[in-house]
Amino acid sequence: MGTTPRRLVLPPWLAGLLSLLVPGAGQILQGAAGRGVGLFLTLAGLAGLVFWQRVPLLLVPVGAVWLWGAWDAYRQGKGRAASTVVPFLLGALVVYTLGARATELRPQRLITNWPAVRPIVRALLRPELLAYPTEDRIGGVPFQVPCVEPLPEPEGRPTITPTLRTNVRCAAMGETITVEGEGFFPDFEVEIWWQNPIGDYQRILREGKPLVVRSDVRGHFQVAIEVPTTAVPLDRLPAPGQTQTHRVEARQHRPYGTLQPTETLRLVVAKIGETIALAFLATVLAVLFALPVSLLAARNLMGGHWSTRAMYYLVRTWLNVVRSVETLIWAIIFAVWVGLGPFAGTLALLLHSIAALGKLYSEAVEAIDPGPIEAVRATGASWAQVVVYAVWPQFAPSFLAFTLYRWDINVRMSTVIGLVSNAGLGFLIVQWIRLSRYNAMATSIIAIVLVVAALDYASALFRRRIIEGVPVPAEETIPVAELPPVWRRIWQGVPILLLAALLTGVPAALVLGRLGPMPRTAVALLLVAVVIAGWLCQVRRPVPRALAGGLVALPPVVAWLALQVTSGSPAVQATAVLASTIAGLAVVALVPVKALRRYWLPGVATLGFLVLFLWSWRLAEVDLAKLVAKAPQGVRTARAFLTPELVVRPTEAVTVSAVLPVPCGVGEPATVSSSGPQIVLSATCGNPGDPLVIRGLGLPPRTDVSVRWVRADGAFLRVKENCCRTDQRGNLEVETRIHPLLEIHPELGQTVPGRVEIAWKQAVGGLRAAPAVRVVFDLSLVTLLMALLATTLGSVVAIPVSFLAARNVMGRTVLGRATYQVTRTALNLWRSVEPLIQALIFASWVGFGPFAGVLGLGMWNIPNLAKLFSEAIEEIDTGPVEAVTATGATRLQTLVYAIVPQLIPGFLAFILYQWDISIRMSTVIGFVGGGGLGQQFLAWVGLDEYGKAATALWAIVAMVWGMDYVSARVRERVIAGAR
Amino acid sequence: MLQVEHLTKVFPGGVVALHDVSFTVEEGEFLAVIGLSGSGKSTLLRCINRLIEPTAGRIVWNGVDITAARGEELRRIRRQIGMVFQQFNLVKRSSVMTNVLSGRLGYAHPVLSLLHIFSPEDHARAMAALERVGIPDKAHVRADQLSGGQQQRVGIARALMQEPKLILADEPVASLDPVLAHSILQYLETLNRVDRITVICSLHFLDLVHRYATRVIGLKDGRLVFEGHPKELTRERFKEVYGEEAEMVTVGGQTLD
Repeated sequence: MGTTPRRLVLPPWLAGLLSLLVPGAGQILQGAAGRGVGLFLTLAGLAGLVFWQRVPLLLVPVGAVWLWGAWDAYRQGKGRAASTVVPFLLGALVVYTLGARATELRPQRLITNWPAVRPIVRALLRPELLAYPTEDRIGGVPFQVPCVEPLPEPEGRPTITPTLRTNVRCAAMGETITVEGEGFFPDFEVEIWWQNPIGDYQRILREGKPLVVRSDVRGHFQVAIEVPTTAVPLDRLPAPGQTQTHRVEARQHRPYGTLQPTETLRLVVAKIGETIALAFLATVLAVLFALPVSLLAARNLMGGHWSTRAMYYLVRTWLNVVRSVETLIWAIIFAVWVGLGPFAGTLALLLHSIAALGKLYSEAVEAIDPGPIEAVRATGASWAQVVVYAVWPQFAPSFLAFTLYRWDINVRMSTVIGLVSNAGLGFLIVQWIRLSRYNAMATSIIAIVLVVAALDYASALFRRRIIEGVPVPAEETIPVAELPPVWRRIWQGVPILLLAALLTGVPAALVLGRLGPMPRTAVALLLVAVVIAGWLCQVRRPVPRALAGGLVALPPVVAWLALQVTSGSPAVQATAVLASTIAGLAVVALVPVKALRRYWLPGVATLGFLVLFLWSWRLAEVDLAKLVAKAPQGVRTARAFLTPELVVRPTEAVTVSAVLPVPCGVGEPATVSSSGPQIVLSATCGNPGDPLVIRGLGLPPRTDVSVRWVRADGAFLRVKENCCRTDQRGNLEVETRIHPLLEIHPELGQTVPGRVEIAWKQAVGGLRAAPAVRVVFDLSLVTLLMALLATTLGSVVAIPVSFLAARNVMGRTVLGRATYQVTRTALNLWRSVEPLIQALIFASWVGFGPFAGVLGLGMWNIPNLAKLFSEAIEEIDTGPVEAVTATGATRLQTLVYAIVPQLIPGFLAFILYQWDISIRMSTVIGFVGGGGLGQQFLAWVGLDEYGKAATALWAIVAMVWGMDYVSARVRERVIAGAR
Repeated sequence: MLQVEHLTKVFPGGVVALHDVSFTVEEGEFLAVIGLSGSGKSTLLRCINRLIEPTAGRIVWNGVDITAARGEELRRIRRQIGMVFQQFNLVKRSSVMTNVLSGRLGYAHPVLSLLHIFSPEDHARAMAALERVGIPDKAHVRADQLSGGQQQRVGIARALMQEPKLILADEPVASLDPVLAHSILQYLETLNRVDRITVICSLHFLDLVHRYATRVIGLKDGRLVFEGHPKELTRERFKEVYGEEAEMVTVGGQTLD
């Protein structure tokens, strides 16, 4: 609190009084403008929150903060400001109380609803991995529910072997019947199942657990069961007097043979492969697009001219907007365009990745040192050479690190994108939860955890290598070696000869198989000759490792590509072989014999990379033609989501009508009013089928109106489909024939004639806020509070846990090291489960709503924060610790005086970082029932209410972007303050 | 021979870095450029190889108008002019060998060089250059693992790769301690006397100027205020260049006055 130019010296009591009247006034006038404004805004915010949630009791702490403000101004007048701890705690009390209310926090549900989630938890310990194949015996018999006279023949026939019989042919729900079976496996468990008329099966239960009967040694059993009351959905119950055919089934599944992977496991493995492939494709394509975008978003490149600077701001804004919208929301938007399926999900991943990578890459570009660029330019190098020698080596480490980071995120995202796009693992999980197949769900969750954790670990290793500074592989030049004498070259060349022959031979064989014998021999001879010639002509230039590696991979890829693109005309096959041969020749010619051992890894990697890419392309069902064909739909979607519904004009329905007696003679003829909207009929009465011209005059111009026949009892029918719109003078003319609907039958007592009516919506009153705006505002606050509570929960739990995961705290003892390893591993595994999946489970536990969202997000925050915190702990400077210990302080005192102060800035920065991410996640946690904006967005899209969905979308953008900005500023302050 | 005629540079924003500077440099000279920081020394050097575009004036080198050259011709001129920088300007993450080889880019194959493929002759040149500056054993070490003096020697080796006729040195020893400063300047001196490469070198410390330079020009606020032999740089002339409050200080010795 230094002195600022405009500082008044007020008597303390006056300052206090001013702050009592207008919060912050006293502080501002005394020169602490920031403090005063902050106080005012805080009070305004708190009061706003209290009124929003309507909890008048909380005005008490708000009032206390107000009073504190006056006290603080008074104290400041005396020279010493009051401590901010009190208002901070009071404010936190208000915010958290309201937050708990807004997010419907009901911790007691965790206990009362435990039975709902117990099967899920148990299933997590018993995933469906392996099972014995089974031989089955299934017997069934139709059954009528309820009994009626006369009982019709049932649909469906009883099975012959094994047989199943019921003691009665019909019964009412809830009645007990006896089921008897013969011809089953002897001395083996029998499951009893019930099939309802729609075809859904359910297991017969006894006392809440599935009923199990055992057959005797003759394969016979008998059991009494209750006709299940939940067999038929309420809307399909039979009408009185009707009966429906159900079916009773008895099943035996006897295992034999060896354990095999269950179908679940196979499905999960296949889907995981799909997941990784989609993430891979999205990442690779995103890199391609993000590189040029990042150049446009780099200030050091774009700062020169006003036009480029404008482009820079445009691109930066676009990047921020796209990044503010979570991938899942993009997936929904894309699904509106290209339909549900993996393609929509891939597009969403791709778009979000481009924006995220574009921003990260641009920061790397901005950090490039211009010195080496200058130096290389000064040697007379061309622009391309400058990029390769001075720009790329500086950019490459960040590029690799950021790309791997994004790859990690994409793999996680890919596991949940199925929740929305109906494809992939996420979709399976949701389906399995709905079908109560918890063991299958457990298999998929465990698979996700293991795969994500493994990939995370691998990429962390790779990233560490990059940071530690292995020189970027591409540019290692290989020193010139003397060419050995010919005989030694021949000897050393044998392995490379074999390799080249293999690489060219395998694809060639695939193709050659389709050629005739003569061409086959010729091509084979040609290949051999070429390979030997190439090897003999080895160029003496050293070749960089990656280039050589890439070349090694080229022949089979070229051949495979050619085979894919075409399907078999001999000319093309020959081309494929030729291309493959040339590639093999290049390999043999350029790869120095001695260095072959170093090239196999990059070669295999390149090969694997290309194969993975092509396979992912197929899996993602990338259909560029569909994008083009549906382009108009795309434009419409874009326009729909870009126009939020903010204001509406209330409308009311207006009608003009004319009486039309059918047939003539009944009722009053039509009267025409002289001004305003009129409807004029060409006839005053008539019979059904008579021609009629309906004219509307004086109607609002260029308005959609609906023209209808209206009967006396109110039944109405549109005169014409897709009709009608008034012209620019407000006139309308419709030719039609009188509809029989208007006919009245006096003999039946009907005396009131029907009418012809023109109706339209007229705006009354001015613009006012659309109701959607209020909903979005409410939900935005809920979303923010959800993120706040989740981050708080995560931080509080993570702090103690993080000490267990810090190597320097756990020490060198066996117990310490073991605890450290266990905690670290547990945290890594826990982190691999996306918050959406965690929230899904919590939704099953405590019910849909923001509470589930808070729990899911909070649970996910814990391992993330614990990992970050533990890294901060491991980086503590031991100097101060030593110094404090040396004074004779206890361990606890050392903790408080030497360790905690070092940790606070780091912890705060991490909490803010996680808070950012939590806000993003909280916008979509509603997709699995976690409440907040996401849920409403999904609902509106489902109802085709795109205007309202757009309102929610823009609120999300504003919220995320705003919070991003605020937390970046606060983080800067925190880090700067720590220095 | 290098002729600088009425060289002027005005930066956007109005800063006049050079104003009507004219001088001549004979072949084989070791020209020192002295002046306060901000007097235009770096700008002058960079105008000579057109890393900075002069606003007005002409630079003619051996009959070729550098200021009018463009594109391919400019690159061909640049590759004959080597440059050594105060901050060394090596690509930190690349190996010493790659940094040295990048000096040959103006001569190397345009496409193959993009793939880091150089001819064996270039490789031999690079090793020879490294031997000349005394660090052949560091050829495959990452550039940022080297000490300051070693990095500057790599910078010189890089310049040597161009087989230049002229070397521009922008305060090459300002970031080095006195002993290293002398050793670096000795390399430049050898190149100047033995290889007969013209050297234009901006320096701060006058004893270095006295020891190594054959001619001196002094800049003040972008204007040429001194041109002559180092011996002519008396205390009065010194104050003309550096301003009234300046004191002569030697490197590793007593004050001159």
